[in-house]
Amino acid sequence: MKPTHTKTYISEAPLPISALDQNLCFIEYSDLWNQEFGIGDRNLEGEHIFDSVPNTSEEVKEAMNYCLKGNSFAMEEQKIFGPESAIHWLKWKINPWRKEDGSVGGLIVVVEDISQGKRQKEMLKKAESVANIGGWEVDLIANKLYWSDSTKEIHELPKNYIPSLEEGINFYKAGEHRDKITELVASGIAEGKPWDTELIIITAKGKELWVRAKGEAELVDGKCIRLFGTFQDIDKDKRAEIEYNKISERLAIATKAANIGIWEYDFSRSGHYWSDQMYTLYGVGKDEYNGDYGEWLNMIHPEDRKLCHKGIEAAYYGGKEFNGEFRIVWPNGEHRYLKVDSILERDENGIAKRIIGTNWDITALKHAEKQLRDLLEVTKGQNENLTNFAHIVSHNLRSHSSNLSMLTSFLMDEEEQGDQENVLAMLKDASDSLSDTVHHLNEVVQIKKDASQKLTGVDLYNSIQSVRKNISALAKESDVQFEISVPKDQVVQAVPAYVDSILLNLVTNSIKYRDPNKNPKIEISSTTTKDNVILSISDNGLGIDLERHRNKIFGMYKTFHKHEEAKGIGLFITKNQIEAMNGKIEVESTVGKGSTFKLYFKVF
Amino acid sequence: MEKKGSICIIDDDRIFVFGTRKIMKKIGFKGDLIVYNNGQDAVEGLTEMSQENKKLPSLILLDLNMPIMNGWEFLEEYKKIPLGQKNGVTLYIMSSSVDPIDCERAKSYTEVKNYILKPVTPQDLDKIIR
Repeated sequence: MKPTHTKTYISEAPLPISALDQNLCFIEYSDLWNQEFGIGDRNLEGEHIFDSVPNTSEEVKEAMNYCLKGNSFAMEEQKIFGPESAIHWLKWKINPWRKEDGSVGGLIVVVEDISQGKRQKEMLKKAESVANIGGWEVDLIANKLYWSDSTKEIHELPKNYIPSLEEGINFYKAGEHRDKITELVASGIAEGKPWDTELIIITAKGKELWVRAKGEAELVDGKCIRLFGTFQDIDKDKRAEIEYNKISERLAIATKAANIGIWEYDFSRSGHYWSDQMYTLYGVGKDEYNGDYGEWLNMIHPEDRKLCHKGIEAAYYGGKEFNGEFRIVWPNGEHRYLKVDSILERDENGIAKRIIGTNWDITALKHAEKQLRDLLEVTKGQNENLTNFAHIVSHNLRSHSSNLSMLTSFLMDEEEQGDQENVLAMLKDASDSLSDTVHHLNEVVQIKKDASQKLTGVDLYNSIQSVRKNISALAKESDVQFEISVPKDQVVQAVPAYVDSILLNLVTNSIKYRDPNKNPKIEISSTTTKDNVILSISDNGLGIDLERHRNKIFGMYKTFHKHEEAKGIGLFITKNQIEAMNGKIEVESTVGKGSTFKLYFKVF
Repeated sequence: MEKKGSICIIDDDRIFVFGTRKIMKKIGFKGDLIVYNNGQDAVEGLTEMSQENKKLPSLILLDLNMPIMNGWEFLEEYKKIPLGQKNGVTLYIMSSSVDPIDCERAKSYTEVKNYILKPVTPQDLDKIIR
């Protein structure tokens, strides 16, 4: 080796390299050498290597001496260049160079900084053990399985354990877990498909453990030669997740079964969070409500909006929980009743943070309650009717029969011959009255019996016009003025003959009991509610003293005016007819001012 | 009770009034028989008597079921007539009602001596005026 040649090669070599003489003094060195050791442009020729490279370890010194004897050597050295320098890892490669006679002339030294790779390896090792992640690799050509230390640790195996392919799979729990991994590995080998799954293994010590196994395949010419991946202990998290899922599933099942919705109102966001069940309760799809407060209020029945808004407000300002009932309107118009219970949560400063609450549907309960109330009303009404009927029988029929028996006793009395004609005339009256009463009672029974079958749509306007026609003579004679404000096509659920009879009766009553000092006037008007059409018939007639007569105004054979033609049957029949049509009648009256009768019809 | 005096019948049933008149005659009553067809007329008549310091009838026969003012309403008004003037007045309810509630209610009035069920017989009236 000619020094001139070597000089050129060495100084321009793209790596830190130097040539030393037998005394370990520099003959040649590359620029990168200087750079590696931070020496700058200083000329090193003739300088001892240990003077220019500080802190050289004894091992390196020994190695150099060993190489001067004609040996080659490579070693790694941990090096600290200065007090503030990081640890460097250097790889030394030392070879002797020989003179032409074959004797050792000195050394060729190459250093390589392997700090970065070394550091990464170290970090990876640390990360593995911190994250409980291990690595594994299957060499399909050599049919060998390799496990990293962490992988062995996860399996609770000693570090010197050497796994076999078979055993690797058998650590998975028999059944679905082992089947699954077998399938995944098979498809990895066959199709190069990667996998990422969570399964249970049984460790060497028999412990069940959830692991996350990831794997990838390396294919060469479509043939799998290697599988590799990671292996992570996720037992704690997985069990927590399973437990959480179990609890939330249980809760979900329970709330769904009980039709309970869970909501949360966050004051800072002015928004709602809803559980799935809430959407069902409000009859909207999950994409139809975004938690907006205003939109929520819009779903509430207009009459209950204020109550709900106040409830939330009171919770915020007053710390009072929002509990109670309110109605909502479904998009299809259906009304539902919801019950609400809630709890207020505050932050550490005592400021209201959010409300968490439940909703559940109590519509069925409400309906049942109403049905029960209605049923009670009906029963009460029927009971009243029965009592009324018994009362009528005990009073009215009895009065005729007692008259009959008195009169017949006179006829049988021989001493009373002279009066016979008189008595006979009265006997006829009494029997006629009895027959009238029986007829009236029969009529009432018929009203109740027939109504349900004869209910149909009746146009109130037409009925009023036809009644007016029927009484035109009477109206003309008494010079009564009609004011009718009932819209056309006001159709109600009724029996046509009953409507005619009721209107005729009320209108003729108004005329009969008109105030002789006034121009008689009859006003007929109607209003409509959700369920009813209310027809009101007002007059400016004599009026009835309701304080005295309210209880008997609709009773049988009750009269309130000193009129010869008063029989006390009209209002009794009227009441029975309107009630038979599922309606009712009400009266307001002031003596000297007039009366108003209100008829409640069911809308058709 | 002497068979003279005056008897007041408050009843809208003209057959009953006719029958009672007849029976009274038969059992020898010779006094006056005042008839009111309803409670209202009776109240007005009796109040007038009381205001004029006339002697009230010694016997009142009161029906319950009447138009305008029924027997019960009459009793409420009758209560208002000063006690002194009602001294010596006996009041019977005469009704065809077999409703036990009516019977019980009649007993609750101290003004009512008894409840007599129609039809009335000569025996009933004879017992009353004796």
